[in-house]
Amino acid sequence: MSKIRSDYETSRRAAFRRYVSGEEDLKSIDYMPMFEKQIAEEKKEDERATEHYLVPPLKDPMEDAKLHAELLGMKWFRRLYVVMSVALCLCIIGAMVYNVAFMPAFGGTDAPTNNEVSERYLEKGQEETGVVNMVTGLILQYRGFDTFGETHVLFIATIAVMILLRMGKKEIPEEVDGEESEGDVILRTIARFLVPMILLFGLYVLVNGHLSPGGGFSGGAVIGAGLILYSAAFGFTSTARFFNEKIYDILKVGSLGLYSLLIIYYLFTGANGIDSVVPLGKVGAIISSGLILPINVLVGIEVACTMYAFYALFRKGGL
Amino acid sequence: MSDWIIFWCAAILIVSGIAVAAIAAFGLFRFRFALNRMHAAAMCDTLGIMLILLGLIAVSGFSFDSLKLALIILLLWCASPVSSHLLAYLEVTTSTKLEEYCEIEKDERGKDVKKV
Repeated sequence: MSKIRSDYETSRRAAFRRYVSGEEDLKSIDYMPMFEKQIAEEKKEDERATEHYLVPPLKDPMEDAKLHAELLGMKWFRRLYVVMSVALCLCIIGAMVYNVAFMPAFGGTDAPTNNEVSERYLEKGQEETGVVNMVTGLILQYRGFDTFGETHVLFIATIAVMILLRMGKKEIPEEVDGEESEGDVILRTIARFLVPMILLFGLYVLVNGHLSPGGGFSGGAVIGAGLILYSAAFGFTSTARFFNEKIYDILKVGSLGLYSLLIIYYLFTGANGIDSVVPLGKVGAIISSGLILPINVLVGIEVACTMYAFYALFRKGGL
Repeated sequence: MSDWIIFWCAAILIVSGIAVAAIAAFGLFRFRFALNRMHAAAMCDTLGIMLILLGLIAVSGFSFDSLKLALIILLLWCASPVSSHLLAYLEVTTSTKLEEYCEIEKDERGKDVKKV
């Protein structure tokens, strides 16, 4: 972590950070509801009345002016933010509506979705992507860019939930008052037997995604469920021995970054990587079909992390 | 001949499994209290599914699919009773109307008496 500068506390960045974390700030008075404003004013008056009996503290005359300027800047920033976000949304909506006009009629027989595309996927799919399970080939190769966006949606959803749940809290509670229950004896006994099986099955679904139904999303969900069962049975402290926040950050950001690199490669080769340099291998073998296997694994890690993170965030307020 | 035996075995198993599931669904709507409902639903989770899957195993004979079905029975028999147990535990610890529904007998000191 970089060193905090001495003037950090007074900077606008710190003010924005305080605003985001929901701390009481001078700037928030402007946005108070009426009655709260009244209360605040009354309190201020009381303070002013008592001030006569106290020695007024020495004040830098420049302080007020600085604060005022900063406040003005924050206000302008907020207004600009609202206007720009509305404008951006309108632009996107306009572009979409404009493009709808060029689409073929819904359910029309000459629409490309109804004739050529699916046939072509089924006829040429195995030859071009080297997968047996065509669904995986479809979502990870022909429409790789969509899946890329979906994985980002998961990432952003976790971040948004994290921001919302941590808003207004100064620190993440280390433990839930230290009285985290041991878990039921029956649950623990069964979990000791079930968790390895569930994780193994999740791994099987993940790695076998190009051969049988499954793949990154479902396999990751199974692994995430196994992690949730483990932490429900044995508590968060024993889960944190192998899956704490640090490992979570590394896994989540690392897998998404690697996936992004692969997608950038797809974009440069064109055609979503159908003619990539990675050999397709023998159809039906575990290590085959080029980049689909690593992408499946990366998506699976992402999904598993997201599932476990949601559980931990809602149950404990942090990982 | 053996085909017919397998067929009838599988048919009886599957039909009885469906019957058990139907009884469970009926009980789920018939009972009023959560624990009674869970008692009815647990039957479908274990017995009904076991009967249906055994019927399917009989149909598919000795194969890899049968092994997978047997593993599903094992998994469900491990997971489903434990989850019902946890749900019942939650209901017992949090329900405010437990005594009203369950008629727990109390001795003179106010402690629960276990019925034999």
